[in-house]
Amino acid sequence: MAHMAPMNRDALRLEALRYAYGPGRGAAVAGVDLGIAEGAFFCLLGPSGCGKTTLLRLIGGYLEPDAGRILLGGEEVTRRPPEARGLGMVFQSYALFPHLSAVANVAFGLEMRGVPRVERERRAAALLDRVGLSPDEQRRRPRELSGGQQQRVALARALVIEPRLLLLDEPFANLDRRLRERLRGELKELQRRAGVATLLVTHDQEEALALADEVGVMLGGRLLQVGRPEDLYERPRLPWIARFLGEANLFEVERREGAALRLRGGLLLQDIAETELVGVEAGAWLLLRPERCRVGTAAHDCASRWAGRIVNMAFLGADRLLDVEVAEGVRLRVRARPGALPGATVGERIEVGIPAAELWRFPEPDPPWIDVPPENGARDAMGGTS
Amino acid sequence: MTGHARASHWRPVLLAAPALLLLGLFFVVPLAFLVRVSLYRGGGQSGFGIGGFYQPGTFTLAHYQTLLGERYFGAVWVFTLELALLVTGLCLLLGYPLALAIHHLPRCARAFALGAVLLPKLTNLLVMVYGLELLLGDAGPINAAFIGLGLSRSGEPLPLLHHLAGVVIGKAYLILPYAVLVLVAALGRIDPALVPAARGLGATPLRAFLRITLPLSLGGLGLAALISFIWAMGAFVSPYLLGSPDEITLAVDVQRQVFENVNWPRGAAEAVLLLITLAACAALVTVPRRWQGRGRRVS
Repeated sequence: MAHMAPMNRDALRLEALRYAYGPGRGAAVAGVDLGIAEGAFFCLLGPSGCGKTTLLRLIGGYLEPDAGRILLGGEEVTRRPPEARGLGMVFQSYALFPHLSAVANVAFGLEMRGVPRVERERRAAALLDRVGLSPDEQRRRPRELSGGQQQRVALARALVIEPRLLLLDEPFANLDRRLRERLRGELKELQRRAGVATLLVTHDQEEALALADEVGVMLGGRLLQVGRPEDLYERPRLPWIARFLGEANLFEVERREGAALRLRGGLLLQDIAETELVGVEAGAWLLLRPERCRVGTAAHDCASRWAGRIVNMAFLGADRLLDVEVAEGVRLRVRARPGALPGATVGERIEVGIPAAELWRFPEPDPPWIDVPPENGARDAMGGTS
Repeated sequence: MTGHARASHWRPVLLAAPALLLLGLFFVVPLAFLVRVSLYRGGGQSGFGIGGFYQPGTFTLAHYQTLLGERYFGAVWVFTLELALLVTGLCLLLGYPLALAIHHLPRCARAFALGAVLLPKLTNLLVMVYGLELLLGDAGPINAAFIGLGLSRSGEPLPLLHHLAGVVIGKAYLILPYAVLVLVAALGRIDPALVPAARGLGATPLRAFLRITLPLSLGGLGLAALISFIWAMGAFVSPYLLGSPDEITLAVDVQRQVFENVNWPRGAAEAVLLLITLAACAALVTVPRRWQGRGRRVS
């Protein structure tokens, strides 16, 4: 849980950070340790109310922690006001100054640093050029710009001061999906070129996985797990994380039956001898991602094959998502390549192959204090966000 | 939607109708009457007999000619303007910091503070003014404290009641709640993320205020100034009760002309001139802003 960075020269280090909104109220940030390396892109991911925005405010200097330390580039800033931290922040609402032109907005940070007018406007205009605002658009006020342009101005305003750390609070929340995906790419490229360490806060797991070098999953004021997106997706520490990060089939082990595992719901997982599931005991939880399920001819290679009726099907273009009822009340979510099941229809019975070697066994079950449904972040392809 | 469009076309008119009717009956009609009265010949029989207030059926601009050339009326007009400016300045000077303080309170405390600001408005106007009279008088608690603490070198009380200070204090006291309300509303319209954003970009609290909060509340300040000024220009109760014969405002003089000199046309003409002054001031404040707005859209 505690992410131990090798050196003290991280762009940002948090040590045992705690904060509660007033006495008697639960901790919004309950002991967070975190290190973000120079130049790294870190995403803080969690459902609303998990404490991620509070953490961002603590780092920005808008709240003072009850305990713990905040270090920027090895230098302690825990009690410093925001203006003495040198951070670049992009707010969810962008917080552009409505009475100033785009260029004056971007130049604001330089103005506060005493950069002469001509120089600061030249630098602001150069950066706005780079994010793609025309000279005419640069002279406009924020409300005369589109949402995407406002977002770019906010980003340029945060970057122009060459911050030690770039903080982004749900920067894509107010944009439509298509624009969001394009700006995501632009942000990543800009960030890499500027080489600035970045902390992005989001509740959107897709965004976090797409952007981050490293993701921290937060819940109840704690960091549940920190790691590379692939590691988090494939080897989550808790069932809750697995479900929060994407579509997940979860099984609880009822008992061992020789070389097989009897799962809750009556399903049998065959031939685990050669896999990592060998030592699994009753009560353990297993993860099977929908794209690991085998259908059609590919199912024949698997020792475990579960037969069931297709109860739901969604065509997603690149692949197809199926819900297959493999036992009474047990639905298996399956992601199939388009050619794998030609002519399959809802109601049809199919066989799903379960590759035992590709199941992930959680090192521990969800702790009892987790009571938030994880679907908050994952988008359900069968019916919008659930 | 299209079916609704026709109905909704008339809806604003319908909704405004009761208020428009009220305004028409009790503002426009009396106003027209006022203008007409100001154009009658005055006098007739003097005294209190019916028909002594003006001569019906006559038409003259004489009252306006007299007033515009008269030193006495000029002095009253200038004093009214000065008093209004003084009161407006005082209201903004006291009201803006107070509004800022209220704006920065937590939400529940904010409602409480606004209630406290409005509390004096629940009192009857005359009761309030008589209370002020007690407070500001030579033997009142303020002067008692002033003399008791030995702050007065000559042993004389401060010239408050029946002096300019009393009038200004009284008037400002009456207007301040409205100025504060307008200013708190204006501050509330500013995106609360702007100041944190400015701070994050390196602005100290003072610079963030000067560069962000102040410019964005200028509209509210203008509106508060306009409301205070218009109100103060019509000052009657406070100069009448808290002032001396030196503190004659237009409204006080209108009352004198009408009731003491029984010269309705002259009183009416003074009232019309007061109205014209106010309209000119309102135009002075609002019109340039509209031009500014248009210029902004073009650029």
